[in-house]
Amino acid sequence: MLTVVAVVTGIVVVATYLTWLAGRLDRLHSRTDGAHASLDAQLLRRAAAAIAIASYAAAAEVLTVPVARALTGAARAASTAATEERESAENDLSRALHTAVPRIEARDADLRELLADLATACSHVVLARRFYNDAVRDTCSIRKRRLVRALRLSGHAAAPTYFDIDDTPPAALSALDPAQPT
Amino acid sequence: MGHVRDLAEALIDAGHDVSVLAPVDDESHPIPAYVVPAGRTVPVRYNGSVARLVFGPISARRARRWLRDGQFDVLHLHSPEALSLSLITLLQASGPIVATFHAANPRSRVLAALSPALQPALEKIQGRIAVSPAARRTIVEHLHGDAVLIPNGVHVQAFADAQPFPGWPGEGGAIGFLGRIDEPRKGLDVLLEAFCPLASQRPGLRLLVAGPGDVEAVRQAVPPPIQDRLVLLGRVSEEDKARFYASVDLYVAPNTGGESFGIVLLEAMAAGTPVVASDLDAFRRVLDDGRAGELFAVQDSGALADTLGRLLDDPTARRALVANGTARVRAYDWSAVARSVLGVYDMVRLASDSEPSAEESALSRAAGNP
Repeated sequence: MLTVVAVVTGIVVVATYLTWLAGRLDRLHSRTDGAHASLDAQLLRRAAAAIAIASYAAAAEVLTVPVARALTGAARAASTAATEERESAENDLSRALHTAVPRIEARDADLRELLADLATACSHVVLARRFYNDAVRDTCSIRKRRLVRALRLSGHAAAPTYFDIDDTPPAALSALDPAQPT
Repeated sequence: MGHVRDLAEALIDAGHDVSVLAPVDDESHPIPAYVVPAGRTVPVRYNGSVARLVFGPISARRARRWLRDGQFDVLHLHSPEALSLSLITLLQASGPIVATFHAANPRSRVLAALSPALQPALEKIQGRIAVSPAARRTIVEHLHGDAVLIPNGVHVQAFADAQPFPGWPGEGGAIGFLGRIDEPRKGLDVLLEAFCPLASQRPGLRLLVAGPGDVEAVRQAVPPPIQDRLVLLGRVSEEDKARFYASVDLYVAPNTGGESFGIVLLEAMAAGTPVVASDLDAFRRVLDDGRAGELFAVQDSGALADTLGRLLDDPTARRALVANGTARVRAYDWSAVARSVLGVYDMVRLASDSEPSAEESALSRAAGNP
């Protein structure tokens, strides 16, 4: 009798724990998906801000046509890149920004506003990427537990991957958005 | 906590609705309209000091009711790693959650031991903010995560508007120090060692010292002829602190270490007082590599005396430091800090809105979140 009670209690405890763990994992996957959507939105916004400033600066002859074209090209490529090429395309855009932004002289109000938009977009990419990678780290730390792997508690959800790019904003932009994260 | 009050007021000034759940020890005292009391604190001895913590069923119930009634777009917790009200609230919360980590203690054994137990609660936080690089390091080392850096703010206008004490800085010039006078790491010794030779060369020069500690011991530490050139204010109120900065020609931060941010430098810059500070990483960063204030080698009182002498004789150099400092400190005004924090709020709201799980959003609605 005592053995039966012990076994039943044991099963209840284990089942409760596993349910709790699965729920926790589910929440972490949701958090990661949400953070990914937000990162995606911020990256697209950065690309849009880059295109806006490139076309304005080229028309106003603040940037030479080749530099402006390179920036626009990198921004278009980044916003249309397939998942597996996204990191390298976004890195190309960061590099194009580092080349173009120091050459842009903010000589009128429109240009200053475009630069401020770009500065915000760049700093938001830094935020969104850090929050996303945090979510990935938290999720993976549970997924890689032996128990979770053995019982396939993660279900069909694919393991999230870190998003690694150099998103340091150009120095000229940091000055516009001074409290931005580093 | 000052940080929470300042941030809440800056957000309210920017037109947002803010409610702060906070421990209130003396309920007879008037509290700001945006504060919801969460019960009394319990003093707990830890690490040589007394931490005032809140826990227990009453606080838990108040936190639950506050979350339910508030229907908040974003929940922002402060120091949830401490076993306190923030953690109690976090355990009961869902929806967009942001947390600011204040503690800079990369080698905390308590935190290292607690970290696995805290993990399930802390992983509900979507956006983590650290107030200093040291606080961020603490998170990286103990909580296995990262954080964005948003420093504390300064009420620039309040410092800029402050009037000097009558008769200050005076003809012969005045130097200022603020901080605990008997805490060696604040470096008053280094400054006194630099001040004594300067004072004997410059008959009118005075040193104004604000901060708690044994005033008599400090007075005895300087030779009798210059004792009357040393003015010790003891502990000062917020208002007098602003007047203190306005009362001196040079503000000196001779700290020898342990500083993670350097808010005092920003306050001096906001008051329009040129800053001379020891060359610590945190100070170098705040002073923009020496452009917004002079740096001298840590603990080198000779170098400090030379720097002070040179700046006292050179009003143009002082004005240049003030101009750079005034421009620099604008980025640290609470209004700017609040904008950065709002950026984080937007980000976690966007992320929560895009969370796909239907079950999850049903739960959030049940918990009173949008």
